[in-house]
Amino acid sequence: MPAFKIPFNGYSVKFSPFYENRLAVATAQNFGILGNGRVHVLSIPPSPGAPIVETAAYDTADAVYDLAWSESHDSLLVAAIADGSVKVYDTSLPPASNPLRSLQEHTREVHAVDYNPSRRDSFLTASWDDSIKLWTVDRPISVRTFKEHAYCVYAAAWNPRHADVFASASGDCTVRVWDVREPGSTMIIPAHDFEVLYTDWNKYDDCILATASVDKSIRVWDVRSFRVPVTVLNGHNYAVRKVKFSPHRGSLMISCSYDMTVCLWDYMVEDALVGRYDHHTEFAVGVDMSVLVEGLLASTGWDELVYVWQHGTDPRAP
Amino acid sequence: MAMRELVTGGAACAVPGSSSSSSNPLGALANALIGSSSKTQERLKEIPVATPTGPENQFFQDGVPLRTLPGSEQDRAFLPPNAQGSEFLRTFHSAYQNDLADAWDDVQHGPLPHVVSDMRAGTVLQPPPTLDGPPQRMLSGLLHSFVDSSRGGIPFRPAQLPLLGLSERDKQCIRDRSTIMGRHFFADKSEDFINSQVNALLHSLDIDSDVHAKGPLPGRYRELEEYWNESQGMMRPVPHVADGWANEFNQLRVNHGNPESWARSFEQQHGSNGWASEFEQEQSQLMAADRMRGANLPNMAAMEQSRMLAHTLAQNNDPKFQNSKFLQFVSKMSRGELIIDDNQVKPAPGDWASEFQQQYNSGPSWTDEYLRNRGPDQWADEFTAKREQVQSADDQWANEFSKLHMNDWADEFGQQVAEGVFGEGTANDWANAYDEFMNEQIAMKQQSDSSRGVYVFSDMNPYVGHPNPLKEGQELFRKGLLSEAILALEAEVMKNPNNSEGWRLLGITHAENDDDQQAIAAMMKAEEADPSNLEVLLALGVSHTNELEQAAALRYLYGWLHHHPKYKTLTTPEMPLSFYHADVAGLFNEAAQMSPEDADVHIVLGVLYNLSREYDRAIASFQTALNLKPNDYSLWNKLGATQANSVQSADAISAYQRALDLKPNYVRAWANMGIGYANQGMYEESIPYYVRALTMNPKADNAWQYLRISLSSASRHDMLEACDSRNLDALQKEFPL
Repeated sequence: MPAFKIPFNGYSVKFSPFYENRLAVATAQNFGILGNGRVHVLSIPPSPGAPIVETAAYDTADAVYDLAWSESHDSLLVAAIADGSVKVYDTSLPPASNPLRSLQEHTREVHAVDYNPSRRDSFLTASWDDSIKLWTVDRPISVRTFKEHAYCVYAAAWNPRHADVFASASGDCTVRVWDVREPGSTMIIPAHDFEVLYTDWNKYDDCILATASVDKSIRVWDVRSFRVPVTVLNGHNYAVRKVKFSPHRGSLMISCSYDMTVCLWDYMVEDALVGRYDHHTEFAVGVDMSVLVEGLLASTGWDELVYVWQHGTDPRAP
Repeated sequence: MAMRELVTGGAACAVPGSSSSSSNPLGALANALIGSSSKTQERLKEIPVATPTGPENQFFQDGVPLRTLPGSEQDRAFLPPNAQGSEFLRTFHSAYQNDLADAWDDVQHGPLPHVVSDMRAGTVLQPPPTLDGPPQRMLSGLLHSFVDSSRGGIPFRPAQLPLLGLSERDKQCIRDRSTIMGRHFFADKSEDFINSQVNALLHSLDIDSDVHAKGPLPGRYRELEEYWNESQGMMRPVPHVADGWANEFNQLRVNHGNPESWARSFEQQHGSNGWASEFEQEQSQLMAADRMRGANLPNMAAMEQSRMLAHTLAQNNDPKFQNSKFLQFVSKMSRGELIIDDNQVKPAPGDWASEFQQQYNSGPSWTDEYLRNRGPDQWADEFTAKREQVQSADDQWANEFSKLHMNDWADEFGQQVAEGVFGEGTANDWANAYDEFMNEQIAMKQQSDSSRGVYVFSDMNPYVGHPNPLKEGQELFRKGLLSEAILALEAEVMKNPNNSEGWRLLGITHAENDDDQQAIAAMMKAEEADPSNLEVLLALGVSHTNELEQAAALRYLYGWLHHHPKYKTLTTPEMPLSFYHADVAGLFNEAAQMSPEDADVHIVLGVLYNLSREYDRAIASFQTALNLKPNDYSLWNKLGATQANSVQSADAISAYQRALDLKPNYVRAWANMGIGYANQGMYEESIPYYVRALTMNPKADNAWQYLRISLSSASRHDMLEACDSRNLDALQKEFPL
C-alpha cells in the first residue's frame, strides 16, 4: 500500500496489539537533534492500494523517540519524549484532553518505552540519563528506577514469558538482564565492542535475546550461556538501529539500520539473511511486525515516510 | 532573510550549490545537476520565485521593458514551508504544559532572533562570507549537514553562526544529541573523525563542548569492562576507541558523571593503586584537554578534517548514499534553511526557506563525487599549492564530461567553461588531468542520468509553430499566465535554441512558477547561448548571492563588469581564478565613480554589501540607486529587506510601503510588510498584511504559517480555525486592511 508521508523524521513505528489496521508512529523534527515532535496514529486501509489514513496526531515540544501501545487498553499509548518526559495518550479522547499524563522524572532524553505484555499494567522507559524506570499507568510517579548502566540506555524489553524480567541495551556496550523483584541487575552481558542500540527477546524461547549494535552486527544470545553469542548476523553496512523477533516464528527477526535497509533474518539457518528491503532513502530507524497479521511489516525512517507491507511484497508497491 | 528579496531577480536562476564550489563554475554545474537528481523530490509549493529586478531591467537590451512584467505576484518572501513555527505555537497553546511553558519562556527571554547571521567559515583566502537567513533555517541546515556528513564520511565544516539566539537548553540539546547520535551514524569512522565532526558543529553554534554534556561513554568504564572481561576469562575484544577519544572524553567528562562512585567501584575491583595510576593518567589527559580547549576549535577541526580528507573521501561509493538528500547539504554547509522554532516565534523577513526546501527535496547525487574532485573551499590552504591544477582539472572534467553527454546542456556549459568567460585551463593542463579524472567521469556517468539538470520540454506544446512565440510568451508572462507563458517560451527556444533572451525569460517564468530546477536549467542555457549577456550574468550573480555562494556570486558579478561595455576597462582581460569581495566591491566602486548616474552599479554594490553584511553601506547604495530610479518597486523591496536585515524594521516598512504604492499587487511586499510588523512584535498589525498577501496568492503556504503565528501571538485564537481552514473570506472580514 502507498507509503504515508510524515512531516518530520520518523523514529519509531508500532502496530496496535488490538487492531490489525492500527499503527502509531513517533517522529521528530531535524532528526531529533532540535525541534518538535509528533505522534501519529494511522489507520491501514482494508483494501491494499488505498491510502493510509491518519486518525490522530499529537504534537510535542520535543522529539518523540519511541512509543508503545498499552497491552491493557486499546486506545492508550505511551510516548518517549526527548525532553525527558513520558506522555500517555488516549486516542479515544479528543485532542484537547491529550496527553492524558505527562510523567516527568527522567533527567534526559527518553529513548525507548516498552509495555509489559504479561503484566499488562506496567511499562518501562529507557533514558539517556543512564537509567530505566518502571511505571504503572495508575501511578503518577515511577515504581522503580534501575540505574546501573554507565551510559545512555537505548532500549529496554520485557521478557515475553516472565512478567518481572526485562533486558536493557546501553551505550556502555552491555546488555543487562533484570528481575524487578531483585535489587540489582541479575546478568551483565558484554554483548558488543560498540554501543548496543537495541535488544529484544525471542517470543518462543524465553532465554534467547538479540542485540543490535553500532558495530553493524546483530547478535543472538542465550542467557543461560552468555559468554559467546549463539550467532552473529552480519549484513548491515552501518549501525543496526533495531532488531525485533517475529511474534509468529521463533527464529525470524527483523532489523533496521543506518544503512537505510530493513532486513529479515532467520538466525537458525545458515544463510540467515532471508530478506532485505531498501525502500527507505534515509536512515531506517523504526520497524515493527504485526502481532495480529502474520507477515505484515511496518517501517519508518528519516526520509519522512512510513511503509506498511506484507513480507515478500514490495513496500513501495502502490 | 532578505537576501532573497534583496535579490529577487536572482531566484530565477537560483542554483543550488555548494559553498565550497563557489569559485568554480563547475560548482554551479554540479549543483544544477544535483538539484534535479533527487529520488525523493516532493516539490514544495512555496518555492521562492524570482522577480525581475531593477538591475535586469537596465540590461534588457531588446527593448522589452522587463519592469512591466509581473514579477512578484507569485513571489513569496517567507520562511520555509514547514509549519514548525506554528506547530510549536499550536502545541503551546493547546497543551499548556509546564515544559511547553518553559520553552515559551526560553523563547521570550532568548535574544531577539535576528535575521542575519554570518555562517560560513571563511577560507583563508576570502573574507568571511555571509549568510542571511532566519536563525532556524541556518541552524537546521547546519544540523542537516552535520547528519549528512555521516554519509560518505565527508568532513563537516565548522561555520560561524553568531546570534542564533539559541537558549542554553537548545544548545545543550544540540550538544548532547549530536554527540550521542554522531557516535551512531559515524559508526565506522575513527573517534578523531567523530570528534572533529561534533566539534565543528558545536563550534559553529558557539556551544562549549565541555559543559554539562553527556559525552561519549567515559573511557574509564571501558577500562572496567576490560577488567571485567579479563575476570570473566573472555578474550579482550579489539579496543573500539581510538586514542583521540581521550581528548573528547576529557573535554566532556569534567562536569558530568559521578567520579566518586566510579572511583569507589574501581577501587573495589582493582584496589586503590590501580585507581591512583588511572587517576594520574587522567590528570595528564585533563591537562592535554585543557590545552586543547584553548586551541582554536575551528582550526582544529579543519586540521582534523584535512587530515581525514584523503581517507574519508575515498569511502562510500554506494549510490544510494550519494542519492541521499542529506548529501546535498554537505556542500551547502553554511546555509541553514529549514525552520526550527523552539526559540523563535517571530518570522524573519526572508524566503530562503522554500528555496532551501526545494533543494532539500531534490537530491544531490553528485555532491560526493564533486567534492572528490574539488574539495571544499575550506581546504583551500591545503590545496593552494595544487589549486591551479585542480581548477583547470575541473574545467577539464566538465569538458570531458560534456563529451560524454552530447545532448546535455552541461555539454555546452562545459564548453563555455572552457572557451568562454570562465575558461582558464589550457589544453595541456587538461590533457594532464584527463587520466586523473577518468574514474570520476565513469562514476559520474552512472549517476548523471538521474541527476543532470537538463531542461525538460513539455509534451504537446500548442505554441509550436506559433509565428512569434517569444512575443506571445512575454505577453502571457505580463498577464501572469505563467504555465502558458512557459509553453510559449519553450516554443521560442525550440525554434531559436540560441536565443538567450528566450531562455532567460523562460528561467524567470519557471522560477515564478515554482520550478527552480527548470529555472536553473533555462538560465544556464541562457548563459550558454550568450555568455556575455549582462542580465543573465547579473541574474546568476544575484542568485548565487541569494544562495550565499559568495565566490560564485562574485565571479558572475565580476563577469558582468567584465562584459559591460562601459566598465570592462576596469577589469583585467583574463578572468582571475578567485575573487575577493573587497576587490570586486572596489571595482564596482570605481565603476560608480566613473558613472555615478548608473543605478545598476549602485544596485550591484547594494547586493555586494549585503553579501558582506555591510548593511549601512548596502542601504546607502540602494538609496543612491533609488534616487536614480525612484519608481523601481523591486528596488524599494530590496531596500526594505536590507533595512530589515539591519534591524531597522520600522524603516523597512516604509520602504515596503513605497514598493506597494508603486505596485499594489506586489505580493511579496505585502507579506514582507507583515513580517516587518511581526518582527517588531506588532503581531496584530501584521495580520491584515498577511491576509492581503494571501488574498492575492492563497497558495502561499508560508504566509499561512506566518499568519497563524501572528494570530497566536496576538491571542486571536478565535481566528485560528479560519486560518487552518484557509477561510479567506472570514479572515478578510475580520482583518480588513
